[in-house]
Amino acid sequence: MVLQKDSNSRSFVVLDKVSKRYGSLLALDRVCLEVQEGEIFGYIGPNGAGKTTTMKIIVGLLSNFEGDAYIGGFRMPEQRREVHGMLGYLPQSVAFQEWRTVNHALMTFGRLSGLSEDEAEQRIGEVLGVLDLSDVRNKKIVELSGGMAQKVGLAQALLHSPKLLVLDEPLAGLDPASRYQFKQVIKKLAEDGTTIFFSSHILSDVGDVATRIGILNRGRVVSVGTLDELRSRFGAGNSVEIVLSHDSGRWQKLKSIKGVKDLEQPSPDKLLVHLQSEANVDEIIDSLIRGLLELGSRIRSVTLLSPSLDEVYLKYVGEGGRA
Amino acid sequence: MSLLLLLKDELRGFYRSKVMIFLWVGLPLMAVLFQFWSASTQQVFSFTLLSAVLVSSIGGTLASVMLAVSIINEKNRHVYELFLIRPEKRWNLIAAKFFAVYICIAVASFLAIAIGIGTDCLVRDGASGTVLKDTLQSVSVSMSMMAVSSAAGVLIGVASPSVLVGAILVIYGGNQISAIPMIPTILNIGNASLFTISSGILISTVLLILAALIFNKKQF
Repeated sequence: MVLQKDSNSRSFVVLDKVSKRYGSLLALDRVCLEVQEGEIFGYIGPNGAGKTTTMKIIVGLLSNFEGDAYIGGFRMPEQRREVHGMLGYLPQSVAFQEWRTVNHALMTFGRLSGLSEDEAEQRIGEVLGVLDLSDVRNKKIVELSGGMAQKVGLAQALLHSPKLLVLDEPLAGLDPASRYQFKQVIKKLAEDGTTIFFSSHILSDVGDVATRIGILNRGRVVSVGTLDELRSRFGAGNSVEIVLSHDSGRWQKLKSIKGVKDLEQPSPDKLLVHLQSEANVDEIIDSLIRGLLELGSRIRSVTLLSPSLDEVYLKYVGEGGRA
Repeated sequence: MSLLLLLKDELRGFYRSKVMIFLWVGLPLMAVLFQFWSASTQQVFSFTLLSAVLVSSIGGTLASVMLAVSIINEKNRHVYELFLIRPEKRWNLIAAKFFAVYICIAVASFLAIAIGIGTDCLVRDGASGTVLKDTLQSVSVSMSMMAVSSAAGVLIGVASPSVLVGAILVIYGGNQISAIPMIPTILNIGNASLFTISSGILISTVLLILAALIFNKKQF
C-alpha cells in the first residue's frame, strides 16, 4: 500500500527524516523540509553539505534513502512516474549527447515529457524566446558556450510547464544579464503557481528571489525560514550608518542608549552603530539622532543596514563553510 | 511510443558517427578483400559464410565496444539524468541504444554478405541451392553473433564504472560470449541455423534483461 499525503495540504515537497549514506559517509542526516506550493525555496550550504543529494532524492534519481519523501502528494521513490509527470529538473552539470542540436534535444525532452510534436514545436519557440536562445535553435549544443548550454538546460526544464522545478546551481556560469533574466523568469513562474526548489552559491541571488531559505550544513538542515526570520533567529541584528558633517568627538556616550550593542567609527565622518537583534529600530534611530545633536555633532545622513544573507549564512555554517 | 522515439533519436546519432561510417564502408570492403585473399586458399566453407563470420566478428566487436563506451561515457557525464526524470520506463533508454546500434551494424553486414553471395554465385558455378543454404546460415550466424555482442556491450556499459574496464571486459568477455551462436555451425549440427538463431536470441535477451535490471536499480 502506497501512502499518500493529504491532498488538501499545500505542501508540495515534504521530506521527513530523510537520511542518505554513501558507504560510511552520512550525506544527509534526518533532513526535514516542507516547501509550499508556488514557493521559491532557496537551498544553500557549503560544498558537500548534501544539497545535490537532497535534490536527487526529490527528483527520483536516488532511491535508496531512509525516511519519507512526498512530492505533490506522491511518495518517492514508489510513485516516481507520477512525480516525473509534473517535474522539471536542471542538474548541476547539465550534459547532452554531442550530436544533438538545441531544437532536437528540446523536441526529444518535450515529447518524452508528454507533449505532442506540435505542442513541443510551439513551446520550444516560446521558451527559447524567453531565454534569448532563438538564434541558436539549430546549433549543436556542444558548440555553445557554457552559459548558453546552461540556458538550454533551463529550457528543457521549463518546456512542459512543470508544477515543480528543481534547479541545482542554475546560476553557475551565467553572466550578470542572464542571471537577472533567470531571476525574472523564476519569479514569473512562481507567480503562475510553479513551486521552485533551487540551490545556489550566489547568496545575493538567493536572497533576491527566494521566499524562504533552507540552510544545510554537514547533511543537516540547520535553519529554514524567510531571510528576516533567519536574521532574527540567529540574533543577527541591524546596524545604523551615520554620516556626520561635524563630529564633536563625544559619540561614545551613545552606547548608553537601550538597544545599542556596539559603536565604531570606521572613518572620521562615519559612525557604525550595531543594534541588538530584538531592538526597536525606529526608536533607537530617534534616540541616536537626538543624542548626537545634543552632543554637538551635525548629521548628514542616516542609513539602516540589514545583515546580508552572506553574513547570516556565515553565522549559521561558520567561516569554514563558505558557499 | 517513447521506445520508438528514443530509437529514432539514437539512430540519428549513430548512423552518422565516425565508427558507423567506418563500418558502412569498411565491412563491405573487408568482404571484398577477403574474397581476393581466400581465392588462393582451399575452401572448406563458402565465401558467404566466411565473410559473414569475419564481418560479424569485427562488426560485433566494434558494436559492443561502441555501445559499452558510449553508455559509460554518457553515464559518467550525467547525460541520462535528463532522460530519467521523465515519466518513461528506464529500460527504454538502453533498449533504444541496443536496437539502434544493432540495426546499423546489421545493415552494414547485409551489404558485406551480399558481396559474399555475389562472389559465391560467380565462383561456385552458380550452385544456387548451396548458395541459398549458405546464405541463410551466414545471415543467421552474423545476426546472432552481433546481437549477442551488442547485448554484451550494453550490459558491460551499464555495469562498468570506467571506459578502460569496460573496453577490457568487452574485448575479453563479450567476444567469447558472442562466439556461442557459432558452435552449431562449427560442429555441423543438423538445422544449425535454427540453433544459431535460438541461442542468439536467448543469450541476447538474458544479457539485456540483466542490463535492464542493473540500470533500473542504478543510483544516479
